[in-house]
Amino acid sequence: MPILDQNSIEFISRGTDYTRRVGIRLGTILKDGDVICLEGDLGSGKTTLVQGMAAGWGSLDRVTSPTFVLMNLYRRLDGGQFHHLDAYRLDNVGEARDLDLETYIETGPLVIEWAERIKSVLPADHLWVTLRIVDIEQRDLIFSARGSYYKSLLENFRARIYGGL
Amino acid sequence: MTDTTQQPISIDGPIRLLGIETSCDETAASVVESGRKIISNIVASQVDIHAQYGGIYPEVASRQHIITIYPIVEQALQDAHITLDDVDGIAVTRGPGLSGSLVVGLNTAKGLALANQLPIIGINHLEAHIYSAWLDHPERRTEDDPKFPLLALIVSGGHTELALMTDHLEYQRLGGTLDDAAGEAFDKIARLLGLDYPGGPAIQQAAIEGNERAFSFPRAWLENTWDFSFSGLKTAVLREVRRLEETNLPLPINDIAASFQAAVVDVLVNKTLFAAREFKAKDILVAGGVSANQLLRTRFEENDEFTVHIPPLVLCTDNAAMISGAGYYRFIAGQRDELDIDALPNWPLSEI
Repeated sequence: MPILDQNSIEFISRGTDYTRRVGIRLGTILKDGDVICLEGDLGSGKTTLVQGMAAGWGSLDRVTSPTFVLMNLYRRLDGGQFHHLDAYRLDNVGEARDLDLETYIETGPLVIEWAERIKSVLPADHLWVTLRIVDIEQRDLIFSARGSYYKSLLENFRARIYGGL
Repeated sequence: MTDTTQQPISIDGPIRLLGIETSCDETAASVVESGRKIISNIVASQVDIHAQYGGIYPEVASRQHIITIYPIVEQALQDAHITLDDVDGIAVTRGPGLSGSLVVGLNTAKGLALANQLPIIGINHLEAHIYSAWLDHPERRTEDDPKFPLLALIVSGGHTELALMTDHLEYQRLGGTLDDAAGEAFDKIARLLGLDYPGGPAIQQAAIEGNERAFSFPRAWLENTWDFSFSGLKTAVLREVRRLEETNLPLPINDIAASFQAAVVDVLVNKTLFAAREFKAKDILVAGGVSANQLLRTRFEENDEFTVHIPPLVLCTDNAAMISGAGYYRFIAGQRDELDIDALPNWPLSEI
C-alpha cells in the first residue's frame, strides 16, 4: 500500500460506473506525452478505468482489453491518438526496453496496464494508479504523482473531482 | 506510383493470389486459387517462442517475422510449384494487429509486388477470418457454401465480433466485446489456474475431466445489445479461486475450467443464435481461434435451425490462406491498392 501524502488521491469506487466516471474526469485533462501507469489484480477495474479515460479524452473507438494484442490505439476526430498498452504477458523484462515507449509517448497519452511488470523502462515521471479489490463491487483507487508535471496534473484532477476549479 | 490497375489479368482461368499474414504471432504465406482452392499454406507459429514469455511479445514478434517471412513466402511458392510469374496478385493483411508486425508483411508484399509488377490488395484480418469458411476442404461442395444473409461470429484471442453479412464484402457490425475478448478470457483463466499458454487448448483439456455444473459462473447476456462482456466472468472465477485457496484444499482445476468454458460457450452460442433469428439469417458462420474449441463447435452443430459453417481446425487460427481467400473477392470486385498503403493497427469491421 502506498502511503498517502499530498501527492496522492484516494477514492473508494462503488462499482464499474463509478470507476468509469473517475476515468472520464481524468481523461478530459490528458495531453500528448502523459504517461499513466495502472497496477492492480485481475478484475480490479483497470480496463474500466481506461474506458473512462479514453471517453473523457474524446476517443471515437471502443476501448477493449489489449492483453492479447498488447497495444490498442484509439482515435479522436482531430487526429489525436491514445495508446493503451498491456504488459500483462511481459514476465521477462529483459527486452522490455525494446518496446520503444518513447515513440508512443510522443504521439499521445500512453496508458499502461500491469505497469509494475515493466517498471525498469518507464519514464521517471508519471501518474501511478493502484487499484485494489475491496469486495465484490468496491475498489480502492489511489492516484500518485511522480514529478512536478504530474503533481500539477493531479491537482487539476483533484479540482475536477472535488470542485474548486 | 506504379499504376497496377493496367496489368493484364486472365479472367478466364483461375485467379491465383499469394497471401501474406503477419498481424500477430504467426508468420504465414499461402497460394490460393479463386478464393477457394488452397494450393499451399505455410504457417510459422511463434507460439513456442512466446510461450516462454507467457504470450506474444511485440519486438520479439516483429523480429521473428522479419527472419521468417521470406523463407515462408519462398516455401509457399515452392509447395505450390509456381513462381511469382504465375500469380495474379498479392493479398496482405493491413490490420487490425500490432503495427510493427503488420509492417513486416506489408513491406514484404510491396517489395514483391514492385519487383514483379503485381497488384497488391490490403486485407482486413477480421474479414479474412470470415472468408476462411469459403476455403475448400475435401468434404465440402460449392452448393454448401455459406448463404446470405449470413450471421458471422468471429472469436479469437484479440477479437469477439458479431456481424451480419448481406452479401460478399458487405458487413453490418452488430456488436463485439466491451472488455476482454473470449480467447483472452481463456488465456487469463488458464494462467490463474496454472495451466499452459495458449489457454484455449489448456482449458479445453482440463475441462474434459471436469463438471461444468460444479460452479455457477455468471453469464453476461447484455440484453438489447449484440455486445459481449467477459470481464465479470473473469472476476467471478478469480473470486472463486481466491476463496478456494483459503481453504487449503487442492484447487478443483478441472471443475473450474469446465464451468468457466461452459459459461463462455453458453453466451457465444445463444447470442449468435438469437441474432441469427432476429436478422433472419440463412446461415451462421463461426471463425477465429476460439472456433477451434470443441464444446463451442458441438453446441453450434447441435442446433437444428441454422446451418453452421466452422472452418476446419487448421484454418481457425491465423493463417494466410484466409488472406488470399478474402483477397480473391476483393480482387474480382476491382480492388487494387497503391504501394504506399499503411498498416491499420485499429481497423474495425465497421470501417471496411
